Formats: sequence, C-alpha cells, structure tokens
Amino acid sequence: MPTVRNWQLGREMSYPYDARFPSRQFAFVFNINRCIACQSCTMACKSTWTFNKGQEHMWWANVETKPYGGYPQWWDARILARLEEANPAGQVWGGAPADARFGPYGVFEGTTIFEAAATTLTPDSARVLGYLPADDEWNAPNIYEDNPVGKRGVRNQLDPTGEQLPEHKTWFFYLARICNHCSYPACLAACPRKAIYKRPEDGIVLLDQAECRGYRKCVEACPYKKSMYRGNTRTSEKCIACFPRVEGTDPETGGEPMETRCMAACIGQIRMQGLVQIAADGTWAEDRQNPLYYLVHVAKVALPLYPQFGTQPNGYYIPPRWVPRPYLRQMFGPGVDQAIDSYVNPSRELLAVLQLFRRSNRIIDRYEIQEGPKVYEGSLRGRKVELFNDTVIAFGRSGREIFRTTIEEPIHVRTNAHANSI
Amino acid sequence: MPYADPESDDPQELVGVELPGSEAQTREMAAAFAEEFAQLGYTRAQILALYRRAEYAGAHRAWRLLGEDQIVRVVDESLAVWGRIRRVVIDAPACGAPDPPTWVRRRS
Repeated sequence: MPTVRNWQLGREMSYPYDARFPSRQFAFVFNINRCIACQSCTMACKSTWTFNKGQEHMWWANVETKPYGGYPQWWDARILARLEEANPAGQVWGGAPADARFGPYGVFEGTTIFEAAATTLTPDSARVLGYLPADDEWNAPNIYEDNPVGKRGVRNQLDPTGEQLPEHKTWFFYLARICNHCSYPACLAACPRKAIYKRPEDGIVLLDQAECRGYRKCVEACPYKKSMYRGNTRTSEKCIACFPRVEGTDPETGGEPMETRCMAACIGQIRMQGLVQIAADGTWAEDRQNPLYYLVHVAKVALPLYPQFGTQPNGYYIPPRWVPRPYLRQMFGPGVDQAIDSYVNPSRELLAVLQLFRRSNRIIDRYEIQEGPKVYEGSLRGRKVELFNDTVIAFGRSGREIFRTTIEEPIHVRTNAHANSI
Repeated sequence: MPYADPESDDPQELVGVELPGSEAQTREMAAAFAEEFAQLGYTRAQILALYRRAEYAGAHRAWRLLGEDQIVRVVDESLAVWGRIRRVVIDAPACGAPDPPTWVRRRS
C-alpha cells in the first residue's frame, strides 16, 4: 500500500492510493462554545438537498448532543472501540507539538483505520476498518438526546422538563457535523467502483451517482458516517459541500464564492467556511491573512475532529471550554489544552478574527485589521479583558471588500425635555 | 422523552443511566454561553430566555442545576464587560458599484 504524509498525525501512513492534493481545499471551523443545537443548519441542508423520497433518514448536516448522542447512534464510540480492539492500549500520541504546519499536535503513535485494516480484516482486498450501522441507528438522529416534547394527548405545549428517566448531571455540548471532505477520504479509498473522487480545484469529495452500484463500502468505511445509502435508488449519497455556491456560480454573489447552506443558516454564528491553499507536500500553504489559516495554524484554537482516524479531515472545531479535558483530547487530539487556553485568553487579533464569523454569506479569503484605541480594560471571572476599537475588514476571492466590522460605543441622546440641561 | 408511560414489565423499556457531574463544570458552561451571546450583542432578556427555555437544553440544564439567581449573576457579569460595546457591520456595495465604495447597508 502506498505511503502518504498526514500533517495532522505528524507522520507518514499507509493509504490505498498515492497522495494527490487540490490547489485549494474546502475547510471550515465550528466554534462549539456557541452552539445551542437550534438545528437551523440541519434543516437548511435537509430542505435543500435531502427532502426526497428515500432520503428520509439522511441528514448530511446534523447536530448531536455529546457525550451520549450521535447520528448514526454511537458512531464514534463504535469506531473507537474497533480501533482499540485492533491496537489495544496503543492509540496514543507522542512527541512534542511542533510550531510547524507538519505535526503541530505531536506524533500519533497508534493505528489509523487504513493501517488497522491491513492487520485485522480479511479478505486482503478490505482497505478500511469500519462498520455498517444498522437501520435503526440511522432512523432517529437525536433519539434519547435532549429534545423535549409534549405530554401525550396535549397539543401545542411542551413538557416543562421533558424527562422521565434519571437525568445526566454532567456537561453538555453540541457537535455540529457535516462531511469533512477529508484529504485522505476513507469513502474514496473503500469504493470498489472508483465512484468517489476529490475535486482538484477545491478538494470537495463527490460521489458519482452514475458509477455507484450501492455496495455501501463507503458507508462502512467513513469513520464519521457521512456517506449514506438510499434504498429507492440503490446508490449511496453524501454531502456535496453545496458546490455550486462554493464555485461562485450563484447569481447573487456576482461570481464570489459563497458559503454552504448550513454555514449561512447558522444563527448562533458558530461557523466559518473557506478555501485554503494547499502546498505541494499536502500541508496548508502559508497564508497568514486567511482567517481559517490563522485559526488553525497561528492561534491554534481550531482542531480537527478525531484526527487519529487518519483521514486528515478538513473540519476544525474550537473545543468547548467547560468539558473535561480527557474527553476532548480523545476527540480533538493533544492540541486541546493550548486551544482552550488561547480561546479563554484571546489575543487582540483572535478577538478580531472571531468577529468575522457569519457576518456575510460570502467566503472570506483574506482579512485586515485597522487598529483602534483601547475602549475597555477590566476583568471577568479572574481573567484580564482588554477591548479595542479595531476595524476588521473581510475581502473575497476577487480582492474586493465584502464587509467591515467595528465597535460602536453607545450614544446616549437626551430627551427633548432635558436637551439643554447641562 | 417517549410519549407512552413506562411499562415496567416490558423487556424493551428504555433504561436510563445518570452520568455524574460537578457544579464547577456546570458553572463554566453557563458562563461560556453567557459570554458568547453577550459578545454577539444579545440583550439581558434574550440571554436569560436562553437559559429559561427548555428547548435550549444545555443552557437550561445549567439554569435548573444552579438556579435563577446564579444564572442572573453570571449573565450580568458577562454583560458588564461585553455588553458595554456594540459591534456594527458595514457591508460593501455590490459588484459593479462605483469605487471607492459608498456604504450601502449598515447592520448592528
């Protein structure tokens, strides 16, 4: 099996195909600290792409409650367990985090889903360690999570608490997920028909419906379970990253690349999506003023989801600051402590870049900061807080300005009765 | 929550297992939500509604575990810092408009 370089793992790994990299890569950052599971993203995707007969169980975008929720049910627990079986007590990280684009989180010393397949699966043609979820695991995306419903027979009224069973007394956080459009896609690796391909212009992973024969190898292989089988067409389908919008062919934007439906619908403003430049070796090319590059490689507040699977996912998450660290380290790797420390004590630039989230449906290619005066200095729960009236300017792919955001101090207007009372 | 009442003799009946938690984690979660939404420009009433409404189960869980008084204190602390400023967004004009730009839309 060929060897490829995985910068998230800080090492080479085996993969069924030679490495091929797009010139730009579809990528996104989700700030989970803000997500309240309103499911606007879920419904935006559903109402755009998966509303047809045979797609009832399909949620290309979903939000699930961690640690006990998941769609399909237990997707991460099941693949983590299979990897643990393949490499008992060996799924650990070593080395030291590097201040480089290759191996920023140290070196993963365990086994990826591709490497585990070589040692645990038969026949030899099996390429990826995975599992096929049962039908009932797909059927109810948020079953037994936290959505309150009404009492039986009572219409238009929610139950005030919603529980009948013992309630968890632990943390909550909501994990919003779409296809990660991985650099080393497991779905692509597993497809015996070569029906799945990665576009050279933007790294979006697509599934050719004309070539697919519904073997469901991609469904079995994707560790994030974002490839789904459609019974009435007997083919599999997956997130297409709203590629007409990303291409900039929507007339609304005049040729500017546009963010996907799930990103644009996010009322909690947790999402930012873009296209990052890829270097010849597969790492992100240095692009200091790209907001995604800044969040992932400079501020290091955004981390890949389960990087140990080995697919080099292109979805990144700012981890929730209140959640126990061992759980987060398992989910996002060893960069968690630094990410949360940076997020809780943000630099002036990070505070500015966070203002770019969801201010426009255009893809931000570059940002600039015009520094302004300090408007506040104080403390909040023991932390020093400084606020500056900085203006952050976002530019699109064409180089044109999209918007700018700044701070406005409150203006108090005297009433007519007291207009001249100074 | 299932619609039907539990049936103790049903072998398929759902069994709930409670995960333990700590007040410190809950307090941190409550503070995180308050700070995030104060930064987004939400008002005191809007943020408190987030905690009081059962639909937003994470924030609502904190409200139920910590109580109204503690949640109000957390929200007020956050607004004392982040609520003192207002961020405004100024959209650039659409393509084809005269350059240098004349601002066409202002949001807050």
